[in-house]
Amino acid sequence: MTTLTENESTAARGRGTTPAPSRKGRVSGRTAGRAAILVVATFVTLGPVVWTVLTSMRPPTESLGAGGSIFSGGLDFSSYTDVFQQVNMWLLIWNSALVTGIIAAGQMFTAALAGYVFARIDFKGRGLLFSLVLATMMVPVQVTIVPVFMLIRGMGLSDTLLALILPAIPTAFGTFLMRQFFMGLPGELAEAAAIDGASPFRTFRSVYLPLAWPGLAIVGILAFNFHWNEFFRPLIMTISEENFTMPLGLVSLQGNMGTGSVATVLAGVVLSMIPALVVFLFGQRYLREGLTAGINK
Amino acid sequence: MSDVSRRLALSLLGVGAVGAVGASWPRLTGADIPGRGSESLNVAILGNAQDAASRVNLVKAFSAANPNIKVRIQAIQGADWGDFFAKILTMVAAGTSPDVVLVATEGAQLFAERLAEPLDAFVQRDQQEIQDYFDDVHPSLIEAFMYQGSLFQLPMDFNSANMYMNTGAFEKAGLARPGDHWTHDDFYNSLTAMKKTGGKQFVPYYWTNRLFGGVVPWLYVNDTSFLKETRSTGGSWFWDKFYANDPTRGMRSGGYQWLEPNAEDPRVAESFEFLRTLVAEGLGTSPAQGGGNELVAQFASGLIGTTPAGGYWVEGLHEAGMAEDAFDVQFFPKWRTQRHQFGAAGYAIMKTSTRKDEAWEWIKFCATKEAMELAMPLPTTTPTRRSMVNEALYAGKGPAHWKVFYDTLDEFPSSGPIPAPPQQAAVESALIKNVLGAVTGSAANIKPAMSTLQRDLELALRRN
Amino acid sequence: MSTTVKSSPAIALQQVPNAKGRGKEKGGRRLAALFLAPTIIGITIFTLVPIVASLTLAFFRWDIISTPEFVGVDNFVSIGADPTIRRAFLNTIGFVAVAVSLQLTVSIGLAVLIQSKMPSWLRTFFRSAFFFPLVLSAASVSIIMSYLFNQNFGLVNQIIGLVGIPAVPWLTSQAGAMVVIILVYVWQNFGFTFLLIIGGLSSIPVEMYEASSIDGATGWKQFKNITLPLLSPTLLVASVMAIISALQIFDQPYVITRGGPGDSTRTAVMVIYETAFKQLDFGRAFAIGIVLTLLIMLVTAVQFRLSRRFVHYN
Repeated sequence: MTTLTENESTAARGRGTTPAPSRKGRVSGRTAGRAAILVVATFVTLGPVVWTVLTSMRPPTESLGAGGSIFSGGLDFSSYTDVFQQVNMWLLIWNSALVTGIIAAGQMFTAALAGYVFARIDFKGRGLLFSLVLATMMVPVQVTIVPVFMLIRGMGLSDTLLALILPAIPTAFGTFLMRQFFMGLPGELAEAAAIDGASPFRTFRSVYLPLAWPGLAIVGILAFNFHWNEFFRPLIMTISEENFTMPLGLVSLQGNMGTGSVATVLAGVVLSMIPALVVFLFGQRYLREGLTAGINK
Repeated sequence: MSDVSRRLALSLLGVGAVGAVGASWPRLTGADIPGRGSESLNVAILGNAQDAASRVNLVKAFSAANPNIKVRIQAIQGADWGDFFAKILTMVAAGTSPDVVLVATEGAQLFAERLAEPLDAFVQRDQQEIQDYFDDVHPSLIEAFMYQGSLFQLPMDFNSANMYMNTGAFEKAGLARPGDHWTHDDFYNSLTAMKKTGGKQFVPYYWTNRLFGGVVPWLYVNDTSFLKETRSTGGSWFWDKFYANDPTRGMRSGGYQWLEPNAEDPRVAESFEFLRTLVAEGLGTSPAQGGGNELVAQFASGLIGTTPAGGYWVEGLHEAGMAEDAFDVQFFPKWRTQRHQFGAAGYAIMKTSTRKDEAWEWIKFCATKEAMELAMPLPTTTPTRRSMVNEALYAGKGPAHWKVFYDTLDEFPSSGPIPAPPQQAAVESALIKNVLGAVTGSAANIKPAMSTLQRDLELALRRN
Repeated sequence: MSTTVKSSPAIALQQVPNAKGRGKEKGGRRLAALFLAPTIIGITIFTLVPIVASLTLAFFRWDIISTPEFVGVDNFVSIGADPTIRRAFLNTIGFVAVAVSLQLTVSIGLAVLIQSKMPSWLRTFFRSAFFFPLVLSAASVSIIMSYLFNQNFGLVNQIIGLVGIPAVPWLTSQAGAMVVIILVYVWQNFGFTFLLIIGGLSSIPVEMYEASSIDGATGWKQFKNITLPLLSPTLLVASVMAIISALQIFDQPYVITRGGPGDSTRTAVMVIYETAFKQLDFGRAFAIGIVLTLLIMLVTAVQFRLSRRFVHYN
């Protein structure tokens, strides 16, 4: 088992570059083939996104299938103003930000604590308890949503943002990730701290927690991305439009009987992906390095 | 990052989170939603905030007339009526049931059976005030909201499955506007002509696989349906009182009943065979499920020759940039009959409501001409009041023959609602999932497909 | 990404507990109880109790607004007899088999390719491009894709039309619809698997390749003899995660095809949703949900059993 610091550095160096074979002709042939595959793959993954962005900037009257090229007709941002007219975009953004922000922070908090215990403090039944926590990830949300709905009703929180937030804060996956992280940290640190007379809490707070920052970042980023895009729970748990999160607002744009404009719907899609994109791009490095360090051990 | 800055960032994050929670507590608990938890009459409608906002004037007018009743419009979102009904149900389960719900034909019997309060006592009590509404509304629309002899809703708007036509495509193919009583053969010939002149991407007949539109209009004009349609007794208390002099009084009943499947009727197979031919010859699209989202845009850009739709389309086409003379509308083609399919919607009072009298005041007010004009300023649907379907509503937007929308009911008084028993969701999914296989396979495949449909419908109707 | 993220019970079970420096601290127990409380109490309230409730209600007939009525095992018996539910489970299993294989193959292929020599900015670009779809919500991806795959007006048919292929009835034929669902799902989710595999590859020591190059091994041989075996622990994790989330597929068929044409793209979770929220038969929906949960657990267990034979740890 390697320590975290080692993992970080190896990943950062971006290695694994296989040595090139010696014969030159075959090399360039193969290189061209590889390049072609990568280019096609990039086209396939980004193509639909590019199409979405371009189509959202076409005039609504010719937004779809009019046969003309995407580039004809010039840019037109009226669909974006339509989005703000048709749904309360700022409120949607604010709701989504509140819900996802609090869930992410809450998950980081609970997962750090529980993950630490599962990694570093031994007690009877620990393995069983941990397996139980993990097993809950195998239960589809559709199975539990109705009883959760009833619980929320009992708490007097029906149709509130808290109804979305509270049940999402305990996280089995986050706990698992943090456990992996803490297990990757050397145990000697704790011993040293104990010799210095540090209390168990102090050992956690001053020694281990600061080192677990990359792991926490991953838990936060994944939680943000997942809940920003979450559709099913908000669909069931919220009723008032004032409590909608972004994905529900997008469906609103499609209109009853699908009479909404295609360009407007796509403009909404583009707007909705910006915040998640920003978080993801900034967090990309953590994700790539941290996740692999946490799991590939 | 150094340890110190990391720790700083962490604690900042913690402080930030706590601060955010504290500052936004009213948002998190929904306490900042106006009218929430207050003593008001809750009215749930299908739509978004914009739809709720468009009713502001309606609510203002109501408050002016009834200063003691506070009203709160709750826009409930759903891709279709099925989503909307599921949502209302969860509201009931959550103990936040609305008092009044806008219910469409699709859910009329589900609500009547489980959730809604009959209006019988109210309409009888207030006949004086409400008679003016019934005088202006076609009885077919009312009958759709009778269930087992009781009246549950006063329909506000409706849409028949008429045929929209792209006038440019018709002209290009050398076709004149079809006559009122064009037949399904005429229809077929028009499609063939348009296909020749239409160009590569052009689709002569575009249709979607839904309960409204879809195969059902073709079953109705062939004098059949996929469910056995019967009428329940009762209801004469209503018809004698409110429609005594109506020429179609003799046809009226205590409401529609769909108790048995009817998919193995040879005429059902006949209608399916007609649609199958259209698809096989490239005259009609194979209908996608769910979709239809891009339909307005495509029709507006002239890629579609004909498609079934109702008055609700006019505003959408106008907004998509279609000129008023670029399209027109005609009755659905005749086959054995020319009976049309329609859908309608109106307010129902929830059984669980503690404000039934106030709810009735709302319904009664919404049925007045003044209120309906406030509620439906644009042709996004067809008002049920005949007097409101007029030149002014369609001015500058088309179609030239907008009269078709209401004439459908007068010309074909046997026209019926979307077949929607209380088990509507299960019935709809049973129908929809068997349509495509039947219309895209071989002719020999239709009979087994109808047997499967029959079996699925039996299962669906046995539910509940 | 939706469901991808929440999975992988598994890995834990194979971990050798870290023996050093734990449990010796004084007051450790109290700390453990305190630290575990939020997670354990939360999971108990919001997952375990609901599971028990669902399990109980599966023996009742209940429409969410009236009093539940006990019906014994009727709900479970009727599952087997219902052709739609049977079809949905078969669809789900078929979908998982194809989609997960494709997802793993594409991810491994691209992850290996991206290790080739290239400027580091280019590598970063490719990497970002490949997991870009992850930031989109399944709902918006589904909206976009249903436009692109429209038979008459969609861009996909326009593009293949350029090379003379006639329009494919993507969403209006049974096979076509399933192909679209698989493609859309893999398109959106392979990025996460890709990410895991990149990490796995980077932990393979370069010396292994160098040594085998000296022995004359190249390309495919190296891949088979070095890359795959050393990657196998990562592949196990990646496939467990991919399978658990694929078994719960819902958003894509719900938005794109509504389960059609026929029942061809109806999935297990869709049936749960429809039975509960459309047909108001909540007891039956819970019964289906329990069957699905058992299936997920069974598949995961089988994977770990099999992994003993194929996964190499060094």
